Amino acid sequence: MAPAEKKVIISIQQVSKSYQQGKVKVNAVNDLSLDIEEGEFTALCGPSGSGKTTLLNMIGGLDLPTEGVIKLELQELAQLSRMALSHLRRDRIGFVFQAYNLIPVMTAYENAEFVLALQGMPKAQRRERVMSILKQVGLQGLESRRPDEMSGGQQQRVAIARAIVTHPAVVLADEPTANVDSENAEALLDLMEELNQREGITFIFSTHDPRVMKRARRLVYLRDGQLDPAA
Amino acid sequence: MNLSGLAWRNIWRRKRRTGITAISIGFGVFLAVTSSGIGDYSYTNMINASAQMGWGHISIEAPGYYQSPALDKHINQVGAIQQMLQNTPGVESNYVRIMGQGMFASAHKSVGGAFLAIDPNTETGAHNLFLRSLEEGKLFAANSSGVVVGRGMAQKLKLRLGKKLVYTTTDKKGEIVSEIARVTGIFTTGVKEVDSAFVLLPINAVRHTIGYKSDEASLVAVMIEDQRYTTKVLASVRERLDSESGQNNLLTQNREILSWRETQSEIAGLISLDRSSNYISQILIGLLISAGILNTLLMSVLERTREFGVMMAVGMAPHSLFFLVIIESTWLAFLGLAVGILITIPWYFYLNRIGIDMSGAMGDDYTAGGVLIDPVLRLYLYPETIVAILSVVFLLTLLSGLYPAWRAGRIPPVESLKAM
Ligand SMILES: Nc1ncnc2c1ncn2[C@@H]1O[C@H](COP(=O)(O)OP(=O)(O)OP(=O)(O)O)[C@@H](O)[C@H]1O
Ligand SMILES: [Mg+2]
Repeated sequence: MAPAEKKVIISIQQVSKSYQQGKVKVNAVNDLSLDIEEGEFTALCGPSGSGKTTLLNMIGGLDLPTEGVIKLELQELAQLSRMALSHLRRDRIGFVFQAYNLIPVMTAYENAEFVLALQGMPKAQRRERVMSILKQVGLQGLESRRPDEMSGGQQQRVAIARAIVTHPAVVLADEPTANVDSENAEALLDLMEELNQREGITFIFSTHDPRVMKRARRLVYLRDGQLDPAA
Repeated sequence: MNLSGLAWRNIWRRKRRTGITAISIGFGVFLAVTSSGIGDYSYTNMINASAQMGWGHISIEAPGYYQSPALDKHINQVGAIQQMLQNTPGVESNYVRIMGQGMFASAHKSVGGAFLAIDPNTETGAHNLFLRSLEEGKLFAANSSGVVVGRGMAQKLKLRLGKKLVYTTTDKKGEIVSEIARVTGIFTTGVKEVDSAFVLLPINAVRHTIGYKSDEASLVAVMIEDQRYTTKVLASVRERLDSESGQNNLLTQNREILSWRETQSEIAGLISLDRSSNYISQILIGLLISAGILNTLLMSVLERTREFGVMMAVGMAPHSLFFLVIIESTWLAFLGLAVGILITIPWYFYLNRIGIDMSGAMGDDYTAGGVLIDPVLRLYLYPETIVAILSVVFLLTLLSGLYPAWRAGRIPPVESLKAM
């Protein structure tokens, strides 16, 4: 039985990103091409400074390439207005950062609800969705905790809940486990994997932790802003 | 959670900083109320007191009379003018008067001064400072030849009640005339120049002496209900006199309608000087407070750079961040106004009802620009001044929030995310 044809949801074509640092030009990403298919569970690996964060930010429309084309669901990001990019991030992309993901004055519930409110979803519907997501990420009972009343692992779960609550096309996670202990890191990966398999959400996460790499189904190695052919 | 709820929580993240900012806004309200309140109260008092010294808030008189009040300049048909004034909106009352200069002599001595000739049947202390200041004796009767003199003049001329005074002035045609009057009363206004140089005379006697007909006088003094509306009332007085004069074929001669700003230009100058120095100090206070608010909001925006980056990453539009900070400054403004109102109300009512006695600091001269002023410091605010203060403080707070808000919406998300 031939596997069903998978859709490419992210297409990166000959993308470069350079920064001017004083007189030196730094190529954070250098002529890189890569396709990501729907449902992938992919880790971007590579040493510090290899361009992982830069690439994730460009995929998420937070930053634009200096050269080349990035398409998300066939849309070329560079052609979108600031407002359209903002809506795209709100509706189609989930972000999880390494730390300080949450809005400190909001409870776990409110943080997870935030993007739905931005979308203008009615309150009752939001409530239903948020309660079920918080339950899924194992935070039932902690809805009214503020970030400073939660552990690092719990905070990352809230961040994941916020990232998936809108049913995005892709979740981009930049070293999501770097600030939690290995036990919590495993638990977060379990959660992400489960969401990936059960809900079919595409995950791209960056890491330099070999234990995290082991959990990925696809590994993309970066070195000096390029795919590392040696790895 | 909606933006205003989020903004409300945000301003309470730094309780002390927000508290200090709110108190400084409140203090601004306090200072503005105090200085405007002193102004509103004392200007009104000065204007009314000066209007009660003869010319009224508005006066209808012969052209050039107020610059050199000689008796050859007069208006006529004052009865008709009075009738027209009767139901002009804003006019409280009006008085026909003759004012002129003269020499006043007793058996001992003579002094130069001025007289105000009034109708004792219509004038009351409520609109006439001299009558209100009557210390001894009483006002003369309408068809008598009495005189009421100031205490200073009485002392100089060694006059007592019942004594004779000879006054000399120029008549309608410019001829020198004199007449004898008997002292019926002595007043003390507290203004030295006035008490030593002013007398009141019955208008009928003066008319007879200087050759005015019974419908001729120097001026009609108009008192209005609220001095703030002088300009408006003056316009309607002018309109009425102009239109009705034409209809009734009256008052064809020249006349001027002047406000206290012209007839009491010294007071007007004093007030406008004081008012502009008030404005300057209020602008300075406003700038200081705005700088404080700007600083608070800018700090709070800059320290949340990372947070704003996350919010933009998850899809908050930059303009919503702008509005978030604007709403934060609105909350701050409300908070500041609330603090301001709380600390100002007791102060205002204390100074409004009781006041602070400044007579120690003022020595014994309670006058300014030739007008008596109250040695007790009091506050009074017109409702529109209150509205003006509150809205200016509110607007300043909002304006101070604009730049921080603009900053918040302008930082690109990647840069925000790098800030830790
Ligand atoms: N704003 C910037 N200005 C100048 N250089 C930058 C900027 N952002 C990134 N770089 C450079 O681009 C390169 C790639 O950085 P990037 O943050 O993408 O690496 P990374 O793989 O995420 O590293 P790490 O594992 O440390 O997070 C680095 O050399 C970095 O110094
Ligand atoms: Mg990185």
